[in-house]
Amino acid sequence: MALRFEVLGRFNRARAARLTLPHFECQTPLFMPVGTQGTIKGLTTNQLEDIGCQIILGNTYHLALRPTSELIDELGGLHKFMNWPRALLTDSGGFQMVSLLHLADITEKGVTFQSPVDGKPMLLTPEESIQIQNRIGADIIMALDDVVKTTITGPRIEEAMYRTLRWIDRCIAAHKRPHDQNLFGIVQGGLDPVLRDICVRGLVDRNLPGYAIGGLAGGEDKDSFWRVVAQCTAALPEDKPRYVMGVGYPLDIVVCSALGADMYDCVYPTRTARFGTALVPEGVLKLKHNAMAKDTRPIDPSCACMVCKNYTRAYIHSLVTKDAMGSQLLSYHNLYYMMQLSRNLHSSIVEGKFPEFVCNFLQKMFPKGDVPEWVCNAMEVAEIDISSCCAPFRKD
Amino acid sequence: MALTPFFSPPPSLCSSFRSLRRGLFLPLLQAYPYTTSKGAVPMPETALMALRFEVLGRFNRARAAQLTLPHFVCQTPLFMPVGTQGTIKGLATNQLEDIGCQIILGNTYHLALRPTSELIDELGGLHKFMNWPRALLTDSGGFQMVSLLHLADITEKGVTFQSPVDGKPMLLTPEESIQIQNRIGADIIMALDDVVKTTITGPRIEEAMYRTLRWIDRCIAAHKRPHDQNLFGIVQGGLDPVLRDICVRGLVNRNLPGYAIGGLAGGEDKDSFWRVVAQCTAALPEDKPRYVMGVGYPLDVVVCSALGADMYDCVYPTRTARFGTALVPEGVLKLKNNAMAEDTRPIDSTCACMVCKNYSRAYIHSLVSKDAMGSQLLSYHNLYYMMQLSRNLHSSIVRGKFPEFVCNFLQKMFPKGDVPEWVCNAMEVAEIDISSCRARFRDD
Repeated sequence: MALRFEVLGRFNRARAARLTLPHFECQTPLFMPVGTQGTIKGLTTNQLEDIGCQIILGNTYHLALRPTSELIDELGGLHKFMNWPRALLTDSGGFQMVSLLHLADITEKGVTFQSPVDGKPMLLTPEESIQIQNRIGADIIMALDDVVKTTITGPRIEEAMYRTLRWIDRCIAAHKRPHDQNLFGIVQGGLDPVLRDICVRGLVDRNLPGYAIGGLAGGEDKDSFWRVVAQCTAALPEDKPRYVMGVGYPLDIVVCSALGADMYDCVYPTRTARFGTALVPEGVLKLKHNAMAKDTRPIDPSCACMVCKNYTRAYIHSLVTKDAMGSQLLSYHNLYYMMQLSRNLHSSIVEGKFPEFVCNFLQKMFPKGDVPEWVCNAMEVAEIDISSCCAPFRKD
Repeated sequence: MALTPFFSPPPSLCSSFRSLRRGLFLPLLQAYPYTTSKGAVPMPETALMALRFEVLGRFNRARAAQLTLPHFVCQTPLFMPVGTQGTIKGLATNQLEDIGCQIILGNTYHLALRPTSELIDELGGLHKFMNWPRALLTDSGGFQMVSLLHLADITEKGVTFQSPVDGKPMLLTPEESIQIQNRIGADIIMALDDVVKTTITGPRIEEAMYRTLRWIDRCIAAHKRPHDQNLFGIVQGGLDPVLRDICVRGLVNRNLPGYAIGGLAGGEDKDSFWRVVAQCTAALPEDKPRYVMGVGYPLDVVVCSALGADMYDCVYPTRTARFGTALVPEGVLKLKNNAMAEDTRPIDSTCACMVCKNYSRAYIHSLVSKDAMGSQLLSYHNLYYMMQLSRNLHSSIVRGKFPEFVCNFLQKMFPKGDVPEWVCNAMEVAEIDISSCRARFRDD
């Protein structure tokens, strides 16, 4: 293992921890912004540090295409290349292939696809994925898994789950840098509790440094989503980080943290910024809206970020439809929002005030008390009392 | 940011004030009335100025000055980045301050379209709207119309054009331009001029020059805020020295706070370009700022400064960044070039900017064709380069080392000594000896 995971505080299933990685000491729960090409669109290294980003995710698929993992290795690894002094995580490349390339095909060997550069047939194997990630040099690397969308049903899900277990052994064998790179396994199995259980136990047997819950955040209903997370967090080891891939919305992060997850990644905050949407305690604020044209308030008066301290909604509104600066300022704010959420989750758990934090969060987002049922159910399993923020039952 | 009240030191304290101020920026809190420049005949509307221009050092025609504007105390020569929509593409306010930008140019045409000058006024002016604590300059809107709208037509009334928003016929008059700029609230506003490209010849140039003089009076009459906004006149006249001279004298008679040399940087040959600049700077008042519009390339900025100009603006540094090109002492560096893919050096090893201190050429190369971040980092560097050039021009003149600076600059850019002839000619007129950076004449 090339990490240390120390739980500093708990509230039932939720935990706040210190995750010590080769390049940085992180506090969980934490959100990881996605820096596809080795950069978060529009933000410089020092801005990311100002915001408080601890780990950034790099997409292996994009980096392997350009500038290539060999070049990155030659130039000293991705940390040095992009001049990011904190932690990095790379994914396996598999997901992009499946989602971006309509000609991708998965076999036991690996993922076969047509190179987008020259159209040649190519193959990404577990060995190749790990080798690329070894060259890139991130603190955490992800196993190549056979991921299927949760909206699919049938034998494909079982096949994918077992293949994921066979591939993890190939990933482990191919991994040349276990002393400074942590290989995380990914739990698959769709929405089927039996399959998920088999996968968890199989991965736990391999005694990996950390575990991810994959295959979610792909369109499944929220009720199924939280139940899979709850099942996996209950079964995964207490003393290792748990990473829910592709999450997401602030509400989802709060729920998953209550259920015992530690790490998250998603393009949502930066992508929604590019559509002119800001994350705020009440939910979202759409800066393109005409009402914003004369609104001299900051995006969020309770936010301490550079954007909220310096710019009005009116100004950002004037930019969002016509200058990339609008998206940039919103990306900055949205990432700050997610980092602040991470910090609040960690500190409220450490200080023994987690239920108060959750209630406060839900009250702001659902001032009429109309907290969605899936959230209520999840919080019940997490044993967090949110009755103060739920409207009382109506007898219709 | 610490705010200190402005104080007006007598000349004997200037040097200690300079050293106090070196490296610091002391923003003004509010506008206040100035005395007119020495010897000027006060006239009711035009005697008011909202700036002070003090020459701190000279070398022949070149001068380094302190230009005090309502929102900021600037040092000239200076370059003004163009922030079309009230923003410099990709850079936040604090980054622009870090780089050392003193004045930013806003395009009246774009701002008037959206979000409209009325809204900007309602929200307290452009400074507040974009949260820029330093100085702003707005142009008249005329140039964009002529260059962007192929249906623009210029008559005595003003510029008639088709609104790009809804196609309706519209008219930008001198009065309207000044009114819009009054609402926007910049420290310096530009008169609406009748600008023609220098590549055009014939009677149109003379017509445009005289119209510019007639329009300046309408601009002056329409200007409602002479106490805190400085209306600059723009010298037109194409490449014709006689017309330029008439225009200069006409504008100087109006006793404006500052003057621009317009109609250049539009494709004319370099030899004609510098000669017009030289003629105008020689004829314009010593004690007022001189602004060469649309310049430009670092070399052009150095030459014009040697000839006695003080202020410049151009989209070039940021536009060329968006094509993957960085400004460096040797000229330009094209980051898209394959040779950059494995080059671990910074863009410019002598540059102290955030980009050169943090990122390698290889990294920026990997971004430039596929992520806006590449352009952004290059814009940051290129603007820093221009600000550093401005600072170097100012300080080398103040310290009496201007010829050394010019030679050093030319040597880096033309290491084989092949300094273009137009530069040599201009430097001769500027009385700057650059023989040490020129290759000796070959007798072919």
